[in-house]
Parts: sequence; structure tokens; C-alpha cells
Amino acid sequence: MDRAFQRTKILTNHLLQSSPSSPAQIPSLSSNACLDYSPPELSEGYAFDIKEMRQLLDGHHVADRDWLFGMMMQSKLFNPRVRGGKVFVSPDYNQSMEQQREMTWKRIVYLLERGVFKGWLTEKGEEAEMRKFAYFEAVGLFDHSIAIKLGVHFFLWGGAIQFFGTKHHHDKWLRDTENYLIKGCFAMTELGHGSNVRGIETVTTYDSNTGEFVINTPCESAQKYWIGGAANHATHTIVFSQLNINGTNQGVHAFIAQIRDAVGNVCPNIRIADCGHKIGLNGVDNGRIWFDNVRVPRENLLNSVADVSADGKYLSSIKDPDQRFAAFLAPLTAGRVNIAVSAVYQSKVGLAIAIRYALTRRAFSVKPNEPEVLLLDYPSHQRRLVPLLAKTYAMSFAANYLKMLYVKRTPQSNKTIHVVSSSFKAVFTWNNMQILQECREACGGQGLKTENRVGHLKGEHDVQSTFEGDNNILMQQVSKALFAEYVAAQKKNKAFKGLGLEHMNKPCPVIPSQLTSATLRCSQFQMDALCLRERDLLKCFVLDVSQHQAKGESKEHAFIMSYQLAEDLSRAFSDRAIFQKFVEAEATLAAGSLKDVLGMLRSLYALICIEDVAFLRYGYLSVDNAAAVRREITKVCSELRPHALALVSSFGIPDAFLSPVAFNWIDANSWSSVQH
Amino acid sequence: MASSVSSQQDHQVLVEANSSARILSLNRPKQLNALSFQMISRLLELFLAYEEDPNVKLVILKGKGRAFCAGGDVAALVRDIRGDDWRAGAKFFLKEFTLNYLMAAYSKPQVSILNGIVMGGGAGASVHGRFRVATENSVFAMPETALGLFPDVGASYFLSRLPGFFGEYVGLTGSRLDGAEMLACGLATHFVPSAKLAMLEAALCIVDSSDPVIISSIIDQYCEQPSLKEQSVYKRLDVIDRCFSQKTVEEIISALERELVHKMDVWISTTIQTLKKASPTSLKISLRSIREGRLQGVGQCLVREYRMVCHVMRGEVSKDFFEGCRAILLDKDKNPKWEPSKLELVTDSRVDRYFSKMNTEEWEDLKLPTRSKHKLPLYAIAKL
Repeated sequence: MDRAFQRTKILTNHLLQSSPSSPAQIPSLSSNACLDYSPPELSEGYAFDIKEMRQLLDGHHVADRDWLFGMMMQSKLFNPRVRGGKVFVSPDYNQSMEQQREMTWKRIVYLLERGVFKGWLTEKGEEAEMRKFAYFEAVGLFDHSIAIKLGVHFFLWGGAIQFFGTKHHHDKWLRDTENYLIKGCFAMTELGHGSNVRGIETVTTYDSNTGEFVINTPCESAQKYWIGGAANHATHTIVFSQLNINGTNQGVHAFIAQIRDAVGNVCPNIRIADCGHKIGLNGVDNGRIWFDNVRVPRENLLNSVADVSADGKYLSSIKDPDQRFAAFLAPLTAGRVNIAVSAVYQSKVGLAIAIRYALTRRAFSVKPNEPEVLLLDYPSHQRRLVPLLAKTYAMSFAANYLKMLYVKRTPQSNKTIHVVSSSFKAVFTWNNMQILQECREACGGQGLKTENRVGHLKGEHDVQSTFEGDNNILMQQVSKALFAEYVAAQKKNKAFKGLGLEHMNKPCPVIPSQLTSATLRCSQFQMDALCLRERDLLKCFVLDVSQHQAKGESKEHAFIMSYQLAEDLSRAFSDRAIFQKFVEAEATLAAGSLKDVLGMLRSLYALICIEDVAFLRYGYLSVDNAAAVRREITKVCSELRPHALALVSSFGIPDAFLSPVAFNWIDANSWSSVQH
Repeated sequence: MASSVSSQQDHQVLVEANSSARILSLNRPKQLNALSFQMISRLLELFLAYEEDPNVKLVILKGKGRAFCAGGDVAALVRDIRGDDWRAGAKFFLKEFTLNYLMAAYSKPQVSILNGIVMGGGAGASVHGRFRVATENSVFAMPETALGLFPDVGASYFLSRLPGFFGEYVGLTGSRLDGAEMLACGLATHFVPSAKLAMLEAALCIVDSSDPVIISSIIDQYCEQPSLKEQSVYKRLDVIDRCFSQKTVEEIISALERELVHKMDVWISTTIQTLKKASPTSLKISLRSIREGRLQGVGQCLVREYRMVCHVMRGEVSKDFFEGCRAILLDKDKNPKWEPSKLELVTDSRVDRYFSKMNTEEWEDLKLPTRSKHKLPLYAIAKL
């Protein structure tokens, strides 16, 4: 009865408004609006403590993150705008590329003055490193450009000096870098060589008469490309170059070169050009650099692994050029950790926006005269978004593990860090793009508006799948590393140890022929299924490669030919490794509502991994069992539906860092908002 | 007997109901209209009733005498708690915070006439409402840190939303603001000279509308644009932002001290002295509360503040509140002995305890009154 009355009222309004209204009637438009925005907070409850959940997800420095969020929200530099009665901060992406770069730089100066970067290069230890991660993640929630500008300056330029340099480099450069007295960039990639760093063509020779290195760009394909900071701001760069001593190429080495003077003029013998407008990250001044026999003093060689004496002799403690090269790539590990973690936070932003919208937006009535149905009450909409929520939770726990692995690094853990960071960087950034795309579509047309963030973030973060290691190549390296582990274990007849491969030492798990709901929710079964796939694919991959080799092909060629198995294997490794971290995070909790909801998410994450086509392709699941997995997924989705708001609120992203469509999108689009 | 008590209660809040507006006057002028438990209960009752009454379009709240409202009746509260009953204190705040939430998420506009002192609980009873009219007599302050308390009544919501880090400054120092400053920073929505208040009230009584646009345009007709006085703190926003944006209270004080290195400045040195006189525990929990409040809705703020205030009343972590009340309100020696006495002794884990649930039986988090059955105005929805 009530509904019928409401419907009549709505219709009456339609009819009344169809007559031309005088200006005096316009204010009544808003008060008689057909649809009311109802904040999800008023109808959805929290079955668990979202603060506790956030602590688990963020893992560390929660209050420090909030301090930095507040610092950004309270400054005009971060472009606060009021929409629907709430303040949102986000860069004005409608500004020209030059203006965006200028604003990004001003924001960095503001944060610098407030002491945000204190200790980023001069403090050591776990606490300092983790705090730096927390700040970096918080800043990255505002804008990708500012994060990348900071990443290049502190992690690439600063990191190169820390890792490749020795004491006099540290003393000379780190403090000034931290205070931005100099602005660093990192010139590794060339037009002709990206992932294959060993193939770069820049050449450096040594002039023993003057005690200087001479850096040269011999051809157009050797121009340094995509160098963040080079186009406008950077005063100094790390240059990666072949080092040629007396006609012998000693391989890739890193040098410091000044490219601009203190007032910003480009130095002699340096040519710089802009990389131009990009599909995202336009607040970063990516540039190209040519070196015309640029002379730098001998001490500008970063000499932690190799040095050249004053009279021009090449000296290195690492004899093997392969190992020497590996040592050079160490700072890129930090970059990969940052990228992986940042991808998780972008997914959080996308999901918080799309799920909040799905809790306030209605479409279509099931029966005539009934109210329209909330998007998230459609099982199909749940099926689109809730598994992504589970994926994001899984990635969060795995990202926390990766950070700890990095911070507690030892020479022995280098291999693990390399493999895990490669795998997680690739998988998280691919997931992020998939999640953002789904979230953008779930917001319908509203997702197209830049101010609603979710669509725009796709362009901003697309680059993550190729920079600091192309995802496909990183995943190939994961498979190669697993191959090496397998071969070593077989050769020495030793048990598997490390990279989570210990399950290979146990008997092969068996999947029941009839999967019940209880089995599907059991973490032991879930782990068994994921291990089974990894174990079998690793064997298949090794077999495939050896069959190629048996035909007389080289190992390198065999890897190239076995690429399909390599892809499936690296995926299997990643899914299992991520799942393991989810199980471990869950195990730290005492029984209670938090653990219960995490258990559901963990099951959902496992089930979407098991739903992967590889399980059918290689016959790990029967067709019937695959159907049971799919059925169970829809069940878990509907069980998680009541927790949707609490699960995205636990991400701890301040409202101001989401977007208007996540809140009162009717008011944000009202006529009165047009007039202001 | 019962009737005389209730009539005395009714006396503390006067009601005029001759139009579609309801005019509520806080009426304890001798106590500067400090809010008693009875007053809060009465206000809550009236606000709830007006929401259901279609004849009521707006609520005007003002004070008798030279104050709008000087805060919660803390002196009475401390008497109760000294009888070892912190739960009586908790009950007071439960009611008060419920009223604050109702005002923040109220379906009809509230116009508060702030013609005099507005402090602590008085701010809570007005700032959450849609319209706050300041005058040349307005004096605003959140003086809690000097009392061993913290800015409560939802202040972590509204202070944190003032421009820059002005909220941290106002909340930590208890600095007094005049009407012009209140308008400039947004604590007040309008400034009307007190001579015009009677006309404004009369005009509001005949508007017969709940539309905030219409009500705002009525108030606009009596408005003046006051100018900030030469020495106004609001002209020092750059220093305030630099210093009060720091992460910890200790860093705020050193940032202020660094400012003094460049040149002597009376205002900065007074500010430092004020901070050094306040309860170290209060300063730390206040800063953290404002910082958390900046990222929370008004309801979450009040739930958190209720946890905090229960810890303060119970006095297990620190008894500064009782010491502050003794020194400022009862013995009036103005020389409180804070414990811990220094900022560095107030560790993070001590601060954390104020933000945790009470581990006592029968204690529950603040339950916010349900708002889903009322059609809330846009400005209220945005606060949730």
C-alpha cells in the first residue's frame, strides 16, 4: 500500500514537472527529487571491528598514514573540492601537462617542508624503512604522479647511491638528496633497450690523463628514454652504461652525472627532450637524454662492486660478470615492492568506490510497482565485485609479507626476494588493471568522469605492468627460477627448501572425485588443489624443456619454446604463494567475527583461483567438480554481501580520497551544485 | 514532589511555541547556562518530539543572560564521580553525545544564536546544527585541555574540518575566538549584530519553512561582514599551519619554539606557555582525537569520544580531569598537578588505552539513535 502511494507520488511529480515551471519553482526540484540518496552507513551494519581489520590490512604505521592523509586534505595545494557536501582531494587532471608537473613539484615541496621525508635516506633500520613505505603508500593514494616523482628521486636515484655507492658517495649525496638540494633521476632504459639492460648501447671510457670518465650516446637507439624527472626538474642522474676499459667491455656500470645547474639550465654536452603527453602520469616529467662525450670525475663511478684505478685499471671483487650484473639490479627490487603494494592500494580505491556505489544505486524492479533493486543485491553484480574484494584482501596480506621480506633482507634471501617480488609485482598490477576495469564498468557512466577516479586510475596505473620489469618477462623469470630449483633438487637428490616449494617433498595431494561444499571451504583442500597444480606444472615444464634440449636445442631456446607452460606455472606459483600468506594472516587471529569473515574471503580467493581454466586444461578438476566450484563461489559471494560495506571501510581510505560517486552522487550532480 | 522537580527541570530550558519555529532558551544564567543532566535530557526530549511534529519547521536555540552556554556542568559531574561513581559521569556524556549526534543528523534546521560565551558543551549544542549566528558578544573556546579533559561533544569532527590546522590550534590551546573569527573559520555561519537579533528572531518565526536556502536568505538580511581585529589569530594561519600540522605535541611545541628563534613574538610565546600549562595527557589524546576525527563521520567521532571520556571519568590511566576540576573549578588555585607531568612520560601505549573499549562488564559503546526513518537534509547526510 505504502509503495503504491509512493509510486503515485512519483508519477504525480513527473506530471507536475512536465508543465513549464516558473523560476520560483525551481528550488522545489531538489526537495521533490524522485530518488533519495540513502547513505549505506544507515542501512548496513558492521559485524566486525573495522579498525582492527584495517590494522591487519595496513599492517603498520596506521596513525602515521592518517597524519599524512590529514596533511594533504588540509592544504589547498591538494586541490580540495566540495561535491555533495563533502570535500574530495585529487589533482586537476584537466590541467595541461606543464601545469600538472608544476603542481606535483609544489606538493613535493610542501611535504618536504612539513618533514614527511625526514630520514628517508639518512635513517636506517626496519622502523624507518616501514614508515617510509607507509608514507609512500599514503601519498600514492592521492596521485600516481607524485608517488613516481618521489620513487624516482628517493628509491631509484637515492637507492642507487645507497646500493652501488660507497661511503664517500653516501656522505656527499644522501643528505642533500633527502633535502632536495639536488634532484635526482635514473637513466637506465634506452630507446633500443628496456628489459634487456645488458644490451644498452651507451658507452663510457676512461681518460687517465684527466682522471675522468667520458660518457657517450653513440647512436639514436642509445638515447636514454622515459627518464622520470629528466624533462624539467632533475639536476643529476645515475647513468647506466657499458664500461669500456682499454678496449675491453666490462659490462654495465652506473655513474653520476650532472645534467642541470642549480638554476635549471641544461649542462654542456647534455641534450634533453621531452617524452611528451602520456595516457597517464602527466605530472611526471619523463624525458630523453643524449650524452655528447660528457666528462665526469673518476669518483662518480658508483664503485661498490667494481672500480677503476686512477691509472685506468679495472678492479672488481666480483669476477663473474653475471653476478656483477645481478648486483646492479638490487635497487629495482625496492621499486618492484613499491609497485606491487601500490597496485593493491589502487584496487582498494576502485573497490571502495564501486561497492559504495552499488550500495546506493538501484536499477530495474523485479515486479511492477516495486522499488528498484540495489545493484549489489543482484547476484550477478556480487559475482562481479565480491571475488575482486577477496583478491584484494589476499594481495594485501601477500604485500605485507613482501615488504617484510624486503626490509629483513639478507644476502641469503636475495633470490627469494627477486622471485617473490617479480611474481607479486606482475600479478598484482595485472589484477589491479582487471579490478579497476570491472569497478569502472560497475559505476556505469559515472565511472567515466575523471572526478570519480576509478576510470582515470586505469590510465594512471597501466604503466605498472611494464615499468621496472615487464610483467611477462618477470613471470618468465619466476618459471626459470622454479626450473632451477627443480633441477638442483633432482641433481643433488635433495629436498625442496624455500620459495614455498616444500610441498613438493610430500606425496602428491589427491582431489576427491565429488567435491562437497564443506570440502570446498576447507583450507587444507584449497591448499592441496593449488599445490597440485604448481607441482604438476613444474614437472611438465621441466619435462618439456628437457624434451626440447634432447632435440639438440639450447636451454635458452627451450625456455622460449615452452612459454605456455612457463606462463601457467608462474601463475600457479603466484596464486599458491599469495594464498599461503592469506592462510597465515588468518591463523594469527583468535576465533571471532573477524576471523570468520576472513575465512569466507580466503575460501572465495581460493575458489576463484581453482576456477582458473588451467584446472580443467590439465585435468586437475573434473567437469562436475568445476561446476561445484562455480556454484560455491556464488554462495560465498552472497554470504559476503552483508559485509561488503564493512570490508571496503576496513581499507581505511579516507572519504576525501575516494570520489563523489561513492557518496551522495545525486547531490553532487544537483542543479545547485552547477550554480556554485 | 515529582511535579515540582519536573517544573524545576522545565525551567532550565524555556520553550516558546507560538509559531512554526520553536525557540528554546537555556535558562541557568547564573551558571552561564552550563548544561545539567536535566537540561540535556530535556533538550533531547524536545528535539525528538519536534522531529515528529509536522507543525515544527525549525528550532532556534539561545541562552539567557551573557552566555549562550559555557559547557557541560562539570562541577556537578565531579561531585557525582567523587562519590566513586564514574558511571554517573558516563551516563551524562552518553546523553550529551546522543544529543550532539541528533543535532548533527537532524531532519530540521537548527539556528543557534551565539550571543555570548560558547564553550565546550555549548559548542557541541550549536556547531553541529545547520546555522550558527555569531554576534559582537560571542566568545568561543574549547578549554578542555586546561581541565584535564579533551575537546569532546563531537569537536573532533568539527575542529578537524576547520581550515588548515586551525582546529588543532583551537583544540589544544583553548584559545578564545570572537564572532568575526568564528565566522572566518566557519564555526559560525553568519554574523548578526546583537541589536538586530530580536528582528531576526521575529523574521524566523514567520518563515514557515524548513528549506535551508530560504532560512539562510532570511538570516542574510540581518547579516554584517565583521572585520578581523588587527591582532587576530586568524591572521596567523601560516604559522599555525606550519606548527600545528606536526605529527606530535612535542614536535608542535618545538616547531613553535623554532619560530621564536627568528623573531620574538608575544603570541607564539603565549601559545607555548599555554600548551606547557595544559595536561600532557589531555594534549596527546586531544591531538590524536582530532587527527582521527578528520577521517571519520560525526557518528564515529562521537562513538570514539565516548570511549575516551569513559576512560577519563574512570581515571584508571590518569586522574588529570579531577585534578583539573579541583584546581580550576573547586579550589580555584589554578595550579593543577598533572600526572604524568611531562609530555614524554605520556607514552603511545598510554594514549592507546583511551581509544580502546572499556574492559568492564555492562559497559557498551555509544549507540547512536537511528536516523534511517527520517528524510535527512543533504548537509546532514554529508556528515555521516
